[in-house]
Amino acid sequence: MDFHSNPIIPDTATAPDAYRTHAREWLKDNLPSYMRSDSLDYRTPTLEESSAWEAAMYRAGLAGMTWPKTYGGHGLSLREHLAVNKEIGALPMPESVSSIGKELAGPIIMTVGTEVQKQSFLPAILEMREYWCQGFSEPDAGSDLVRLRTRAVQEGDSWRINGQKIWTSGAAKAHYCLLLTRTGTVADKHRGLLMFAVPMNTPGIRVVPIRSIDNKESFAEVFFDDVVVPDSARLGAPDEGWSAAIRVLSIERATNRMYRAWRFECELRQLIQACKSDAQLSRRLQETYYQRRIGQLVCEIDALKGLVERSVEQLMNGEAIGARGSLTKLFWSECHQAFMALAQEIVSQVGPSSSPLAQRARKHFTTAYLFSHAETIYAGTTEVQLDIIAQRIMQLPKDI
Amino acid sequence: MSHQQDSLRPEEFAEAAAAAVADVLGRDARQAAAVLAASGLSGVCAPEERGGLGLGLEFGVPVCEAAGKLQLHFPLVEQLLLARAFADSDIADALIAGKKIGVIAWQGSVQQKSATHAAFADACDWILVADEDGASLLQAQSVSVHANDAIDPEFPLFDIAIEAPVIQARLSAKAWDALKNDAYVLYAGFINGLGGQALEQAAEYTATRVQFSRPLSAKQVVRHTLARMRLLHEASTAALQRALLKNEYSAVRSAETAFSGAIGNAVFIIEKAIHLHGGMGFTWELPLHYSLRDVRKIEAAFNNGHQLENLGAQFIAAA
Repeated sequence: MDFHSNPIIPDTATAPDAYRTHAREWLKDNLPSYMRSDSLDYRTPTLEESSAWEAAMYRAGLAGMTWPKTYGGHGLSLREHLAVNKEIGALPMPESVSSIGKELAGPIIMTVGTEVQKQSFLPAILEMREYWCQGFSEPDAGSDLVRLRTRAVQEGDSWRINGQKIWTSGAAKAHYCLLLTRTGTVADKHRGLLMFAVPMNTPGIRVVPIRSIDNKESFAEVFFDDVVVPDSARLGAPDEGWSAAIRVLSIERATNRMYRAWRFECELRQLIQACKSDAQLSRRLQETYYQRRIGQLVCEIDALKGLVERSVEQLMNGEAIGARGSLTKLFWSECHQAFMALAQEIVSQVGPSSSPLAQRARKHFTTAYLFSHAETIYAGTTEVQLDIIAQRIMQLPKDI
Repeated sequence: MSHQQDSLRPEEFAEAAAAAVADVLGRDARQAAAVLAASGLSGVCAPEERGGLGLGLEFGVPVCEAAGKLQLHFPLVEQLLLARAFADSDIADALIAGKKIGVIAWQGSVQQKSATHAAFADACDWILVADEDGASLLQAQSVSVHANDAIDPEFPLFDIAIEAPVIQARLSAKAWDALKNDAYVLYAGFINGLGGQALEQAAEYTATRVQFSRPLSAKQVVRHTLARMRLLHEASTAALQRALLKNEYSAVRSAETAFSGAIGNAVFIIEKAIHLHGGMGFTWELPLHYSLRDVRKIEAAFNNGHQLENLGAQFIAAA
């Protein structure tokens, strides 16, 4: 792969609009056609190809934008981050293979990590040298992490960890696990939770892939049997790591992958272009039933853009985002799920004589439709988000 | 009401707007026009040289939100729109001063000799109706109005029969289009006000109404319904705020999606608010039905179903 290795990154202080133009042009010039899901050349990129692509994006100033320069970031504001995300969203490119590292582990390490941990982990995440997975959920502790059982016991300068995690995305490829454990018992509830950066090649870790409904093995069960890690793997003091994670999660829920609304718009264009390439599907688009549903979707996408842009402005003005990230998460996940159901309804009419682009769309949107059912589950289920909105935003009483 | 555009923010304007709108409630149309004029609300978005406040459309939004929230039965949105659209004539002066009341018939045309979906047309001086190339402001006394009270017997929409109209003034096609985009903004604000009030009322009621020894809002199904209502209200508000900002290329955004989205969301919120009030929600006494009627009237006036189809068709054509 041949990406522009030394792009000239504009100075946002002198040319704020230039940064956006730079992002647009760099992405247009460098995104390989086989990574574009709207291309007949498309194929699933290998991990190495995705990694090389994301590393090139980072070198071009399009990743790690808000991270401090000291740790390899570009030291920019959320406004530039949003501007670049709009350009990323406008193209049908693959999702990051390192989103846990960039969106979760990185910000948590930045908040509670030691200087050594920051210097060691953060640049490696941005340069795509190390991938992370998230070890939070357990068989008995999905949305309710109070029931967490994975236990960490201190033994001198090290910790012995025993337990099991589940729904761990990307565990098979990860170099590190952002692992949440407890030092006491389940009776301690939220007290005594302790977070670690555990190398996945540590003896005693076993990864068992789980086949998901989209026929992939993107998540797994991870078993920790007498896993011993040094104290230097600890992220923050007991209780500190988790409370920091809660704060980070609330911000991340509102700001991570902020390109979604623009990506949904891009996907909608992709679906329509595929339909237009086929006589039968093209006629479908003339039906008022589909026009109305697409019109409703356009309204929802615009509202999602509004929610995201408002969050960015609030954060830029120094306002706490708090539980409001739940509004965005709930809105985008349900919006996209409904969109994918519509897409599935349309591409289900693709047959052997349909255009090649329509056939490509059938494959893409069928997979996306199935995957969209994960979106209302991960990062806090719909019901968890509704609870947060009711309790923390609306402050509805639970009792008299 | 004083104004300092440089330092004043629309959200700060909301409180003053709400107080002024509250002062109008219960008055007849002529009195309401005079009181609104005295408070400066009719000319919020009209030029200062005409007696307006010379503020941008974003300052009209909290005024219309307050009108929705307080269920104002007066064509305030139309007054604001017409005062802005006719800013270069003495028509604006009369509207801003509360001496005249103007309304808009959103469907039909002068050429068709018939127009429909005009609210408060029985108590106005002027009615704006589309014509061949823009719109004409007709003297109300030169046309006949007939109430269409199917959706709202107390505050009906009106059909207008246009036989020998006297035209007071005209808007070009461009000005008519601009007025319609302004209308999407201000009506979206009004609708969000209606929805916001219904949500607040439902949240308060379910928090205090005790059944099976607990407040209704302690029950998950009720909490989740209220949370969904809040989500949609936030989405409508965010969409409208976005529509008021210029895009990345400094061009004005269309407010059609914010308007159409606000209608669907407000209908959901108000219908759920009625439902959550149980039997009381079905009574005339509980005024939530007025809000539902108001949203449905606006939905009908703009033929929102067709509008959504157009939005879809436009996106398809551009893709």
